[in-house]
Amino acid sequence: MRGSMSGLAATVLACVPAFAAFAFVPALSAQSFVGTEGTFFIHSGTVVVGNGQRIPGANVLVQDGRIAGVGTSVSAPAGSTMIDASGQFVYAGMIDSYTPIGLNEIGGINTMNMRSELGEYNPHMRAIVAINTGSEMLGIARSNGITSAITAPSGGVISGQAALINMDGWTWEDMSVKSNAGYVVNYPAVSAGGRGGGGSGGEQRARERVEELKGELANARDYHLAREGGQEDVDLVYESMRPLMRGEVPAIINADTQEEIEGALALADEFGLRIVIHGGREAWKVREQLADADVPVVLSSLMVVPGSGLPYDAVYAQPGILVRAGVKIAFSTGSQSAARRLPFHAALATAYGLDPEDAWRALTVWPAEIWGVDDVIGTVEVGKMANLFVADGDPLDIRTNVTEVFIKGRHVPMDDRATRLYEKYDARPIGNR
Amino acid sequence: MRPSPRHGFAALAAVGVLAAAAAPAVAQDIAIRNVTVITITGAVIENGTVVVRDGRITAVGNDVEIPDGVRVIDGTDKYLMPGLIDAHSHAAIDQGINEGSESVTPEVRIQVRNDDPTIYRALAGGVTSAHLLHGSANTIGGQSAIIKMRWGRTMEEMYFEGAPRIVKFALGENVTRASTSLPDSLRRFPKSRMGVEYTLRSWFTRAQEYRSGWEAYREDGGVEPRRDLRLEALVDIMAGDILVHAHSYRGDEILMLMRVAEEFGFRINTFQHVLEGYKVAEELAQHGAHASTFADNWAYKVEAFDAIPYNMAIMASRGVIVSVNSDSGERIRRLYQEAAIGMKYGGMSENEALRMITLNPAIQIGVEDQVGSIEVGKDGDLALFNHHPFDPAARVEMTIVDGIVYFDRAEADTMEKLLRVRITTDDDR
Repeated sequence: MRGSMSGLAATVLACVPAFAAFAFVPALSAQSFVGTEGTFFIHSGTVVVGNGQRIPGANVLVQDGRIAGVGTSVSAPAGSTMIDASGQFVYAGMIDSYTPIGLNEIGGINTMNMRSELGEYNPHMRAIVAINTGSEMLGIARSNGITSAITAPSGGVISGQAALINMDGWTWEDMSVKSNAGYVVNYPAVSAGGRGGGGSGGEQRARERVEELKGELANARDYHLAREGGQEDVDLVYESMRPLMRGEVPAIINADTQEEIEGALALADEFGLRIVIHGGREAWKVREQLADADVPVVLSSLMVVPGSGLPYDAVYAQPGILVRAGVKIAFSTGSQSAARRLPFHAALATAYGLDPEDAWRALTVWPAEIWGVDDVIGTVEVGKMANLFVADGDPLDIRTNVTEVFIKGRHVPMDDRATRLYEKYDARPIGNR
Repeated sequence: MRPSPRHGFAALAAVGVLAAAAAPAVAQDIAIRNVTVITITGAVIENGTVVVRDGRITAVGNDVEIPDGVRVIDGTDKYLMPGLIDAHSHAAIDQGINEGSESVTPEVRIQVRNDDPTIYRALAGGVTSAHLLHGSANTIGGQSAIIKMRWGRTMEEMYFEGAPRIVKFALGENVTRASTSLPDSLRRFPKSRMGVEYTLRSWFTRAQEYRSGWEAYREDGGVEPRRDLRLEALVDIMAGDILVHAHSYRGDEILMLMRVAEEFGFRINTFQHVLEGYKVAEELAQHGAHASTFADNWAYKVEAFDAIPYNMAIMASRGVIVSVNSDSGERIRRLYQEAAIGMKYGGMSENEALRMITLNPAIQIGVEDQVGSIEVGKDGDLALFNHHPFDPAARVEMTIVDGIVYFDRAEADTMEKLLRVRITTDDDR
């Protein structure tokens, strides 16, 4: 079980009367603390490197924010903080590849939802600058081993630039792993069962919206070529799309139906875009095309019911089917409050055919590759950012407890909104009514 | 169910209709042997055997003789547990979930439909019984239906025989926001938690007067009072003939409802959701209320911002009978995952966690004498898993209700079979 109380947490709890009186105002609730800096020697654990390799009885040295040593012969420099991982496992932090974390806090409260801007085409909107570093969601996610997440804007046809952030840091700059990880594009729904892209007016209007999207991409390409050719006039909207046009940053295309996914693949072809499919409910129908085009799929929540007419296990079985077809996948929760459930989505997939090793890759190294940061995070290897956690078992097993978390080399306190409330009310004296 | 022959999309699309027409007619005699039996009420039995005859469990143990003519299922390396019970569902409801025109409607009742594919998907998650509640729009909503997942049977056959009458109460945001889109002058009372308390007290006061009128008539004669089905239901609630399940979130409103109920001489059987139950756990235990909650859902609205996954463990440690429910056509498919979360936060034992989806919900919906554990004499409602139900790769292989196999993965339409059919079709061209 989780929930041992640190001295720091006790200090916070002494202030709770004020906090209780203003129950939902996050600014007044006790904030989680940013992790402590230092040199950490995580010793005697089994290191699950993330490339298929497991090293029993190994040590991990964390220094200057990075992994400075991994193996059985690594020793502790003087002054290291010792972290005993004996009987436990050291893993790379998990990555939730699609969430609104930091942009939205409590569902149903409009002023707490800052995901969407007005208008249909917002490639210039940057999620990174709007991350609430005090979000209670960050603590809940990281206490469960989720150390990074894509946080994505929503709405319109192009919603804006998603950011890859760490679940800890003093500022959004400090939290940023990649400030522009991809442009969120909502492929206009062309048939029933498709996802948003906003708008009404049925299939005819949806097709028009696809044409409008192509028009915008064509404008962005023309602008980019003009700029390459020396044009000095700057248009901030199209300027913001140049990394997309150069193929440096992918479009994250929200597409669920076969028709939408094929449409997304056609866009990639026509405009030379690098794309990532998010959603992908019918990706299994086009798995060969996805594999051939080397287009990865970030699966939306597996905790949904299958479409009508499909086998009962359609959603659970798809990850295994895609991986066997050669499609690179990553898992996501789509949620700020349920990001902690990320590994349980992967667990469902392993019950229905996904190899557990591949499930782990789809939580760590594959998303790192998809987001172009596999040289920075995703495995327990020397030189990488020290985004790690220690756990007493398989993270896919709900019964497993995460015991230590490191983000960017900082030792993060296992203290969050849930543990604080737990400590308070578990300590309520019996008979004190 | 006996699904259609697997001929690809067309057959799959019609799965509900076909299955509804082709359910097994009678209870089989079944023995599951060489299986790890999670009995819930007793010790776990390794290499055990469970025999079901005429729909009831007739033998459980290591040293069980399998009678002749019984269908034998090999459970080697598998786990058998009681069929899962969902204490909060809105699946398979016909004719509307909320009678939202007024805030007090205990006279209405949930109607069951038998063709909701959620029933089949729940079976595929090991669920054999569910409590179908009225929605949460009303301070005092309508009466529930309790069903068994007899997929393919008639509507009448879906009802759980002998189950008690239960009514839904609701507190907090859902009740008070019921008519928020209308101008204030047209809004339905109440629109605050204060108004909810008054609504309860005023209606139970009327019900007391109604009850007195009938008592006086029965004792002294005179003019027979006019029958009022709404007040009659409220009188039945006060008499304990209808159990109360109350939708609730915050500690203050949970405490308020217990005090109102105590004032009028009845008990709240179960608080539903009860996400801040941990703040008033001792009061819940003192009142004798049970709790049926979510494992770790939170922050989807303001009154869910103090929800913590330790809720289950704190309430259980204070003596409250806790279940974990779905309230969803999605979660009902993997309640075993939700129960496992009880072990993660606050240190519930494995059996305590398993009780939250078996015996405890059975107690809450008043069917614990029939279901919720593997014991001789109880209904043959069973779920067979490939691994321990809390194992990450756990999957339901077979679900049995009244000794009838309603779900069998080996016979079911699966993605694997669908793709195999599609590949064959492509080759044929």
